Amino acid sequence: MTAESLVLITSVALLAIGAAGVLVRRNPIAMLMSVELMLNAANLLLVLAARVRGNVDGQAAALIVLVLAAAEAVIGLGVALALFRDRERADVDEPAEVRG
Amino acid sequence: MNELFLPLAVGCAVALVSGLLVVLARRPVHAVVALLGHTLSLAALYLILGADMVAMGQVLIYSGAIVVLFLFVVALLPQGGSEGPPGMGRALGAIVAGAALLGAIAAWLTVGPALPPTAATAGGGVVELGRSLFRQLLVPFELTAPLLLVAIVGAVSIWRRQERMP
Repeated sequence: MTAESLVLITSVALLAIGAAGVLVRRNPIAMLMSVELMLNAANLLLVLAARVRGNVDGQAAALIVLVLAAAEAVIGLGVALALFRDRERADVDEPAEVRG
Repeated sequence: MNELFLPLAVGCAVALVSGLLVVLARRPVHAVVALLGHTLSLAALYLILGADMVAMGQVLIYSGAIVVLFLFVVALLPQGGSEGPPGMGRALGAIVAGAALLGAIAAWLTVGPALPPTAATAGGGVVELGRSLFRQLLVPFELTAPLLLVAIVGAVSIWRRQERMP
């Protein structure tokens, strides 16, 4: 196995772990952390592609994804805190006002 | 690039184990600590792959800002945000979905085009990165500024409305 495919497989596995985490967890904080795992997996792939191509454009895109992740975390945590601050348990299945 | 195999393998192993711990930890505080280890291991991977600037951004933004934000929210939630146990169907669905995603991507990787040969050297340093950010990626880069502003205003307004309601 080459070093490139090792990193590639790691990235894919991290994406799958994050997706499974979003589905299996009911705590909004844990779900957001799983989303962060998926973002990190995509970032790893971008940096690997930049290295393989010998071109820094992928690294620049990874930097922009970092900023996006920060904005996403701020909004997601704000909503989670506003919804679950006064509740006994932080469980996304419980609030009745969240209907989709 | 194969002389880097061993450090990359160590970094990948740490990233995978800590990623699994993030999903499997029952207590949110443990998951946050695992997320901290995960972000640091990815920063190490970026360093090995020659992306110094991204590694620094990862440590500053992820390990420094986002993980601390998660810690604050866990501390502010009652009981640190405990949750009910995942139902049998939910766990089964997550496993099936994760395995299907993994299988689909693995199938594409084997059928799809192979990786191009790796360049002899990593792309240039900060100067070249800045050139890329301000030429090809100028519009998305500039759009991150209003995005962050909207995120800040949105977070504050969500909180303010909550304050008035109780």
